[in-house]
Amino acid sequence: MISNFLRHELKAFWRSKNTGKSIGVRIVMGLMILYLLVVVGILGFAMDKILEKALPNQDIIVAFCGIILIYFLFELLSRMQLQELPTLRVQPYLHLPVRRNIIVGYLAFTALLSFFNLWPIILFFPFIFKVIAATSGGAAAGFIVAILSISIFNNYLALYLKRKANLNGWVFVIVTIVLGLVIAGDFAWHIYSVRNISYSFFGNLLKHPMLALVPMAMAIGMYMLNFVYLKQNLYLEELSRKKASYKTSTDYPFLGRFGSIGDQVANEIKLILRNKRPRSAFIMSAVFLLYGLLIYLNPSQGSSDWWRVFVGMFITGFFIISYGQFLYSWQAAHFDGLMVSKVSFTDFLKAKYLLFTAVSTAAVVLSIPYAYFGWRTVLVHFVMYVWNLGVNIHIVLFFANRNAKRIDLSKGASFNWEGVGATQWLLSLPLMLGPYVIFLPFKLLNLADVGLAIMTVVGIAGIVTRSFWLEKLVKDFYKRKYTITEGFRNK
Amino acid sequence: MIQVKDIKKVYNGVIVVNVPQLQINKGESVGLVGNNGAGKTTLFRMMLDLIRPEAGEVMSEGEPVAGNEHWKEYTASYLDEGFLIDYLTPEEYFYFIGGLHNQTRAQVDEYVAGFGEFFNGEILKKGKYIRDLSKGNQTKVGIVSCLLQKPQFLMLDEPFANIDPTTQYRLKTLLKDLNKNKGVCTLVSSHDLNHVTDVCDRILLMEKGRIIKDIATSASTLAELEEYFAIGQTHHTSLPVDEEENH
Repeated sequence: MISNFLRHELKAFWRSKNTGKSIGVRIVMGLMILYLLVVVGILGFAMDKILEKALPNQDIIVAFCGIILIYFLFELLSRMQLQELPTLRVQPYLHLPVRRNIIVGYLAFTALLSFFNLWPIILFFPFIFKVIAATSGGAAAGFIVAILSISIFNNYLALYLKRKANLNGWVFVIVTIVLGLVIAGDFAWHIYSVRNISYSFFGNLLKHPMLALVPMAMAIGMYMLNFVYLKQNLYLEELSRKKASYKTSTDYPFLGRFGSIGDQVANEIKLILRNKRPRSAFIMSAVFLLYGLLIYLNPSQGSSDWWRVFVGMFITGFFIISYGQFLYSWQAAHFDGLMVSKVSFTDFLKAKYLLFTAVSTAAVVLSIPYAYFGWRTVLVHFVMYVWNLGVNIHIVLFFANRNAKRIDLSKGASFNWEGVGATQWLLSLPLMLGPYVIFLPFKLLNLADVGLAIMTVVGIAGIVTRSFWLEKLVKDFYKRKYTITEGFRNK
Repeated sequence: MIQVKDIKKVYNGVIVVNVPQLQINKGESVGLVGNNGAGKTTLFRMMLDLIRPEAGEVMSEGEPVAGNEHWKEYTASYLDEGFLIDYLTPEEYFYFIGGLHNQTRAQVDEYVAGFGEFFNGEILKKGKYIRDLSKGNQTKVGIVSCLLQKPQFLMLDEPFANIDPTTQYRLKTLLKDLNKNKGVCTLVSSHDLNHVTDVCDRILLMEKGRIIKDIATSASTLAELEEYFAIGQTHHTSLPVDEEENH
């Protein structure tokens, strides 16, 4: 039975929408994973050298023992955010004559198939083999067992907490706060030192390899806790669904003035706020408002127009880029409905303009405090704001007509490749390079102001001639309508 | 009202719809029956300009449906949940659809309140998004949002599926009332021969993309249809997979 489960699991992986996508996406995905593996691999293999350089007056084994727990602390935090619960996949087996213990065991076992469980192996094992095995011999086995055990312990702890958090959202908040406090207690307030705690355990492990049984017992205990919890709660509804709260109908009176266009914007705002993935795209654009700090606080970059243009584009246009790259796809699930209802496509596009304009305007207003870095910064941000509204909106809408990939709104955003295709890669080129095509030559001639002025003029021209572009976009859409509707119907 | 001319749709070399001629007149109530894969939904989608036919065209009030939007004024349709905006509450969705037809919220509220029985207390003011409703309740939202548009032409794809028997009877009464008293032209597909012969004055029978029967409903229609479908059962020919229904 287990082998059957595993075979199904493999099929599910290879046939899932995310892996089965176009070759381009797969190559890029593969390259990114490879890159991560290589980076972590290098870190692992050069661990002894790195520790030597970083902490020159400390024994590298002491330093190594010190960082292990710190790593696992941060790992737990990121597991809480990113690791997915293997829950719904058991649904097709629950009603079949398969013993519950097998199902639960399988569920608990597949939880181990996560990249998170690979990193500590790549990161720590080379050091163990290179240094610890060489100096302390048998203790290396203790280290291997201990690290694997803590990883497994973390794995099941994170899943257990996440399952609890699914039932009650506060669990998640509390756990995150507690972890934050634990980390702050060391690094900010210096009440205690995780490194010392880590060393006191792993240092002793060097002398008494049998101590590795402690984390092993913890891992087994956590596994059992998960197993029992799952077995008692093998009801999908309880495992996968949050408690339904009362959903109120909302209405945005200020949008009412725009008639049907306003109604559509209101719908799109609800789409963003009520669905996981677009919500994170939106939150990201709020976070990106702070992106400028990262650049401007660096004195060598703070005074360069080159960076101002770049930051200005992202601050005022991040939403246009991040949300716009999947435009229409967000609405894939009800696109048929929109096409047959009394919504003219011109109004549909006008609603997009209105939404983007509103969000970008909010962003540029919120970015005014960047005046701290000089008024020129604010000026350039405004130029980029005009550019985004005049040029980038049209580019985004043009590519939206070429995107026929459905997006499942209920899935989270992290590592979600659904809806990603060649369009997104192509789209980023004109968006990123566009402003520099104009700005670069003038900047090189030391006429940055002229460059900015011309960009403003181009941007304003784009805004003034909107209706012209709108007409073109509508015509263009009707040429592709059937491809788009069919693509969106393709689950 | 609706004219279908030489329409043809091919998927992977298989003809899914091939209708040389079909005319639906104002005030008619038409039922569409046929086994899975007969091409009912594909035909519906082409009539709504959601799928491009390989050949031929669909005319609504004398103008082609493709590339035009005039028909959206008087045509209301519900094919599947893909027609609903599922992250809205039913109320919000009704307001949106009503708003498209220049109805105020008060008007929408008043109209929708008339469906209290039909909704059976499970839809309005329940604090759920449409995506959290059961499939039957989603169908109810879809049907009422169609009626809210006060259409002259109403298209429903298998509206009787997924809804409870009581609602099925209510829906039948509703459809009859719309057609007989308000003159709305209806096109309804169904697998339930009883319902469809009860509601519709004219029955179209599709098989492998073709309309093989076009009959006015009479006392013998039900028996005639049952005979046709029963034959399919005894011989058990392999059915082609419907592109639309089995994604």
